[in-house]
Amino acid sequence: MNEVLKAVGNIFLKMPKGFVVTFKHLFKKPITLDYPRKKNPMTARYRGKHYLERYDDGTERCVCCGLCAAACPADAIYMEPEENEKGERRAKMYEINLLRCIFCGFCEEACPEEAIFLGQVYEFSEDNRNSFIVGKDDMLVPHPRKDNPLKRIYRRVRRVYGVTDKSK
Amino acid sequence: MAEATKKDMPTETAENMVTLTINGRETTVPKGTTVLQAAKELGVHIPTFCWHPKLKPVGACRMCYVEVEKMPKLQVSCALEVMDGMVVHTDSDTVKQGRKAIIEFILLNHPLDCPTCDKGGECDLQNLTFAHGVDDSRFEFQKYRFVDEGMTTTFDDRRIGPEIILNRNRCILCYKCVRANKEAFGEYDLGVYERGSIAEINAAPGEQVDNPFSGNLVEICPVGALTNSDWRYKIRVWLTSTTPSICNYTSSGINTLFFKENHHNKIYRVTSRPSDDIDDGWLPDVTRYGYQIVNSPDRLTTPLVKKEGKQVEATWEEALEIIGKRFGEIKERLGGVCVGALVSPGLDNASLHAASRLMRVGFKSNNIDFRGDYRYLPESSESPFMRLCSRPFKIADIDDSDVIVTFGSDLIREHANEYLRIRKAFNFGNARIFAVNPYQTKSADVSSLELVYLPGTEESVVNGICLAAIEDNLVDAKRGEKFKLKTPTKSSAEAAKVSGVDRESLRTVAEALAEGKKITFFTGEIITRSRQRDLIASALINLHRLFGLKGRAQMSALARYANSKGAEKLGLLPNPRTVVVDKLRGLWGEYPESPARNTDAMMALIKKEEIKGFLILGSNPVMLYPDREFVKEGIEKLDFLVVADLFETETTELADVVLPLASWAEYEGYYVNLEGRTQKAARAVKPIGQAKPGYEIASLIGEALDPEMFQNEQQIHSEVRQLLELDSVIAYPDDFLEVKADTDGSQGDYNLPLYIIDDWHHSGHLTEKAPSLANFASEPYIEIPPQLASELKIAHGDSVRVESEVGKVILPARISEHTQNNVVLVPRNFSSSNVTSLLMRKKRVDRVKISKVDE
Ligand code: SF4
Ligand code: SF4
Ligand code: SF4
Ligand code: FES
Repeated sequence: MNEVLKAVGNIFLKMPKGFVVTFKHLFKKPITLDYPRKKNPMTARYRGKHYLERYDDGTERCVCCGLCAAACPADAIYMEPEENEKGERRAKMYEINLLRCIFCGFCEEACPEEAIFLGQVYEFSEDNRNSFIVGKDDMLVPHPRKDNPLKRIYRRVRRVYGVTDKSK
Repeated sequence: MAEATKKDMPTETAENMVTLTINGRETTVPKGTTVLQAAKELGVHIPTFCWHPKLKPVGACRMCYVEVEKMPKLQVSCALEVMDGMVVHTDSDTVKQGRKAIIEFILLNHPLDCPTCDKGGECDLQNLTFAHGVDDSRFEFQKYRFVDEGMTTTFDDRRIGPEIILNRNRCILCYKCVRANKEAFGEYDLGVYERGSIAEINAAPGEQVDNPFSGNLVEICPVGALTNSDWRYKIRVWLTSTTPSICNYTSSGINTLFFKENHHNKIYRVTSRPSDDIDDGWLPDVTRYGYQIVNSPDRLTTPLVKKEGKQVEATWEEALEIIGKRFGEIKERLGGVCVGALVSPGLDNASLHAASRLMRVGFKSNNIDFRGDYRYLPESSESPFMRLCSRPFKIADIDDSDVIVTFGSDLIREHANEYLRIRKAFNFGNARIFAVNPYQTKSADVSSLELVYLPGTEESVVNGICLAAIEDNLVDAKRGEKFKLKTPTKSSAEAAKVSGVDRESLRTVAEALAEGKKITFFTGEIITRSRQRDLIASALINLHRLFGLKGRAQMSALARYANSKGAEKLGLLPNPRTVVVDKLRGLWGEYPESPARNTDAMMALIKKEEIKGFLILGSNPVMLYPDREFVKEGIEKLDFLVVADLFETETTELADVVLPLASWAEYEGYYVNLEGRTQKAARAVKPIGQAKPGYEIASLIGEALDPEMFQNEQQIHSEVRQLLELDSVIAYPDDFLEVKADTDGSQGDYNLPLYIIDDWHHSGHLTEKAPSLANFASEPYIEIPPQLASELKIAHGDSVRVESEVGKVILPARISEHTQNNVVLVPRNFSSSNVTSLLMRKKRVDRVKISKVDE
């Protein structure tokens, strides 16, 4: 009997207390996200899908030197150089295999031209493996771009002449 | 040790030796050695920029600092000769400090170009900075920049030649390029201009760096100041691996290294693999860039079979079935003697031998030859000329020869490597060097005397030299008497008159030959191509005997192609030497008794429709054999023609079955160079498409004829080894040979001698497919001496009509730089030139007349 009374008491005394918590949350901001429609912002130094930078005048920064590929522990980067109209070196082909990539950011660190960065994009889903090989077209930032994330990134001041920018 | 100083050094007797201490270790070296070399021999490494083992030291970079006790300052070890009792430290703190300072100085104006620089990864400056430098710069000012019009401060590459690209900002002024160009190659198209901090390397004003050795400058530049379009922005050096190989375009067997990438199955460049016995580490451009044909998109990749008059792609099975059936038919119906074969002397030993076996065992025919571009070949393999060919020759012996005679050779264009050797003897030795040619060549600049004879009078020149020696009592009088019995020419004056060389010059050569202690005497292509090569060889054998050159001279007719010597040794001739025949009979258990025909005879019989089936491995007789029309007409009449080649050529066009041949980079092969040295060219890449190496093709054809004929690689190689072991030198006869001067019949109004040459940057019929070589020359031309050009009012680039008794072609003119006398030269390397249609099979010297084409 006691048991029954206890249970009934719980229903009327303790449960409302619990429901109050639930009820209160109805009026609070939710902490989950309505994911595909809404996205969480990543921290500035998050290491997501790579992007390739440009100089202010639109020239690609990447000169296809191969240092990122040499630094890459996963051997995810492949490139082939060519000459641009002026005879300078640039990438004819620049590919990263995102399935191999472990998002360590070594490529970013190795790059002497500050051309490659790991960005904020973290959504990778495709229906075939080949689509995970992203090329230069997928990674180059559009030109002109409004907001240059380079400016947000701490840049080492270079004392050496003629390296920071091409615009003149 | 560097030859450079070794040459000047006295022999190693006790009083010529010097003892010194390097890093606490005592060593004894000959006087005149530099401290750097002494250290090298001890295994002590001293960093350098401007020192090169084959060049004289200059001491320009000061990277090689060492500390010598009792000397107040640091010393440059590359230019410091050893002294007795010297105590040298190469790793003391002072030295380290000095090196650091030098690197810092060099880097003051050096751009931070490494990411874009083609030298990145193999740059001496990168490596030495990493090893000895500091990681920061104290230089607070703007770096000095060379910026020409149209350049930016970040991009200042300029082309100074068809292949060479210069970036002056990267140059560290070590002068290696300029020194090598002058010392080793004798070229003056590159120099240093201005002085102090604005000193720069540049092409000579109005000139291009386009000499046939220019590729070496790129290789020896310690930084990325000199680069070439061949390697420009292609691949990083650390992604490639290397395969040792040898050159397939020259007969010296120059050692090379392929840089290849396995995933792409592609070769990216060729560099030297220095070998002091052969090449000293210098490559002619044709060796350096010639590999590009291996990667060419035009390569044949599948067999082609003629169906209803058109060649269509087929499988190997189909092609072999047709070959087996058609060749079998001909063999059945007319006998194997109605089949012939022509193989290229650029193929390896195994391919040559397999082809020989196919003909001799498979067809029981002796119709086989490897000399696809010479006419009027000697019948017997013991003819005077073949004897001369078989004589031993050592390239390295050129260095310390005291008399060098090159006879009938446009040296740089056919034996570039030997030219460099002679130049070395000229620079460092005290040789008397004679160039004996029918026209002035560039090699005259290393000659003490150049003898220019009238075309077609070679034997008179040789007789003239002999007679001058007899007349002036330079040789044994008794021998002289005997010599005179065999020579109708009465006196040296007469010979001088016939040959157009003055007697004084003949005498000078005679004197040198009589006095010389170590003589190098060789003949080149002008002799080999001459119809009278046997006569000339007889004259030379007489000369050898008269001067008693035995034991003090190496005298030979140099082979021209990568494996000509191998072909000779393996018996790829219609009539091999008896030892070879016996050996072959032993190996195969049989040897055909049928008549033997050389290329000439085969071509004639093809025309007469007596040879009905023909196999060509890697040769292009339609393009290269003299008298194109004659060959073409004949070949069109053949019942069945099989051609294996790398590309579609004039000859493959006429074939019933075309087979894709693998290039020398695509299989492991052994080649015999002109010295008789067997060298290996390892396999660098997989054969393109379905291409197969020559030995496999020959073996498969054999199998198609008769299943028992098949031989695998090992069997072929073991037979080849046994053949190569045979002694190939044929002794000279015991008496003087009859030498009657031969005159070349008049050819009417065609009286201007024409010589077929190789272009400076080409060799044979395939190199025009290499883009870098085509950058130097891609169009045929005719080289006309300046005064003849001005007589005929021909300017550079004008179209010239060239007519001979049998043909006519129109070629753009080039004014010759070296040739002065009335001779015109036409390169044979361009298929569009059609030059062989001017030639006649039976003439000793081809004569033409030229006129300007009026627009
Ligand atoms: S992030 Fe790391 S694993 Fe991915 S490509 Fe860059 S270096 Fe390679
Ligand atoms: S991204 Fe940077 S490191 Fe990679 S190739 Fe381009 S310039 Fe070189
Ligand atoms: S171009 Fe190269 S080889 Fe020539 S001086 Fe400059 S650094 Fe030396
Ligand atoms: S290597 Fe001795 S000064 Fe350059």
